[in-house]
Amino acid sequence: MKNSPLFFVALFGALALSFGIVVLVSLRQLGQLDAYFDAGEGAAFPSRTPGLAARGLLVYRDLGCAACHTQQVRRPGFGADRERGWGERQSVARDYIYQTRVQLGQTRIGPDLTNFGERAAKAGTDQAKLFLNLFAGQGSMPAYPFLFEVRRIVGQPTKQALPVKSRAGYEVGPTRRAEALAAYLLSLKADFTYPEAQPLEPATEAKK
Amino acid sequence: MTSAPLTSTAEPPASDPRAIDRAARWALLLLLASGLVWLAVGGVLALIHSIQLHTPGFLAASAWFTFGRTQAAAETALVYGWAANAGFAVALWLLGRLGGAPLRGLGLVKIGGAFWNLGVTLGVIGILAGDLTSFSLLQTPVYVQPLLLIAFAAVGTAGVLAWSGRRVGRTFAAQWYAVAALFAFPWIYSVAQAMLFALPVRGTMQAVVAAWAGQNVLSLWLGPLALAAAYYLVPKITGRTLAAYDLAAWGFGVLLVVGPWTGGRHLVGGPVPAWVPTVGIACSLLLLFHFMVVAINLRDALGNPTGSTALRFVALGVAAYILGGLVDAASAMRGIAEFVQFTYFAEAQTMLAILGGFTLPVFGAIYFLTPRVTGKAWGSDGLIKLHLGAAGLGLLLLVGGLAGAGVKQGLELNDAGTTFAAIFESVRPWLLVATAGVGLQLLGGVFLAVNLALQLQPDSDGAVVVPQPSAEPVP
Repeated sequence: MKNSPLFFVALFGALALSFGIVVLVSLRQLGQLDAYFDAGEGAAFPSRTPGLAARGLLVYRDLGCAACHTQQVRRPGFGADRERGWGERQSVARDYIYQTRVQLGQTRIGPDLTNFGERAAKAGTDQAKLFLNLFAGQGSMPAYPFLFEVRRIVGQPTKQALPVKSRAGYEVGPTRRAEALAAYLLSLKADFTYPEAQPLEPATEAKK
Repeated sequence: MTSAPLTSTAEPPASDPRAIDRAARWALLLLLASGLVWLAVGGVLALIHSIQLHTPGFLAASAWFTFGRTQAAAETALVYGWAANAGFAVALWLLGRLGGAPLRGLGLVKIGGAFWNLGVTLGVIGILAGDLTSFSLLQTPVYVQPLLLIAFAAVGTAGVLAWSGRRVGRTFAAQWYAVAALFAFPWIYSVAQAMLFALPVRGTMQAVVAAWAGQNVLSLWLGPLALAAAYYLVPKITGRTLAAYDLAAWGFGVLLVVGPWTGGRHLVGGPVPAWVPTVGIACSLLLLFHFMVVAINLRDALGNPTGSTALRFVALGVAAYILGGLVDAASAMRGIAEFVQFTYFAEAQTMLAILGGFTLPVFGAIYFLTPRVTGKAWGSDGLIKLHLGAAGLGLLLLVGGLAGAGVKQGLELNDAGTTFAAIFESVRPWLLVATAGVGLQLLGGVFLAVNLALQLQPDSDGAVVVPQPSAEPVP
């Protein structure tokens, strides 16, 4: 290793090789991935995130929600993701193509949120209930009081006022950040099954 | 500044090590002192985060201290604050020593070091204010990244100059690792910046890039810095040649070629091409060869005939490094990943790498090099021993607690009948143990900082000039 230039070329090459294959080859595979147009439904999936929800993603990122919540469902049979009701199918790369900053997450201190919007709709968790959960905390999730503000009631209390006590003439209501975050969370759903995301059925495979 | 030829045919005689050490005194002390401040800041943030694990409401009323932000801030303070500064100091010092020439470019080191610390300070404040990137080990806000990169280049220049201008023609394993670490970080970090933030790639490709870069921060930056320290100190302190030095080049080469491929193991079962995690798993196994070579070569650290405390730190650190490699390989396996993925176990692995595999050998190096650089002895031997105890026990409690919690959490997560509230209750005792570990780690860092302050007191008449060992390490 007396020859310095050769040493640096080898260093560079070793990193470039792994980068070239792991990153660039998978980029070639996924980089051009596009929405899937379903003729039956007459629509393309995944659908784009509405504006307020897209702002909510920024709130989700800046509060570090991904430290406790993943957004990736593993395939049925690998872990208990389906049994926990997080999704009937595994997440695939196409689900994420419109997300500006992908929030896959690494730890499940709370539930996976890939299909939170769908679950919330089924369980009857509307925006108001979600605000209350964020304001008061839920289980091991702490409260986020800074997402709410105490404001003077002008005329009638606003529709979004939380059903909690406040000073006379004042109400507790969500800030713009809370509204965006709630819109984002309620928009989370992977409700279309792409051809590549069909759950693999081992029994039918064996018959063939 | 004279420019030395890249390959020296006629070698000028190596300088006196004492002169080399003294010349670099202020630059190295600046880096070390900054590193210790960050160790304390990171320790406090890690303590807050660790308390939030079992008491979620702690400081939760403030947006500055949400669970996600304290995690990112603690990690950034420890990696970019403590590990970067201390790693710079150790790498530059031993490149100067082994090159046999006083370090050049020390002005750049001081300026670069100051700007690096400015960048990390802005970064940690930015994270607490909500500008974290949400990519593990790459959490520094987008606006400080260019500053960090330029500052790194300034400091790293001294390392490259020491390597290319060395007066000792033959190079040692410690030098390879130090140069590789200084070279790899800007490579990895600039790619991550370009592909994640400047021109973000689409969808889950971000996760692939982040896994590649994040794993390399540990495998090719922090790991090599620690190995550089260990490869230098073990033969130097024991006075014995390494058991299989011929293999050291292979161990180095395998880390360099195979190490950067292991990032995919974080994506097992994820929404990425299936071959990415598969390659990651296979390479985690191949990398075991590297850990085997390290184990064979550095096993003398365990013997410790001289009773040196610095060597005890190195021995513990090398053990933690090797254990980390084994656990990484095992947990990459799909059957095991199914349970430990997405749990505290992954956090335990990261902490083992940062506070064990990296930090402990570097503590050893700091205890060895500082007296030689300042020309004064450590203020208190007792504090060094206390630090060893606190660091060792703290690491055991922290990593053991998180790993235990992770296994329990993983098993219960995969049983759909167990609610999150029940999981929280069952892992809580383990998390309390982990918090105790973080507290001990913080205390150990304070012992070191106090000891350094004692050493630097201007009027300590007990100033003992440390005798310089005359021989350079024989591999």
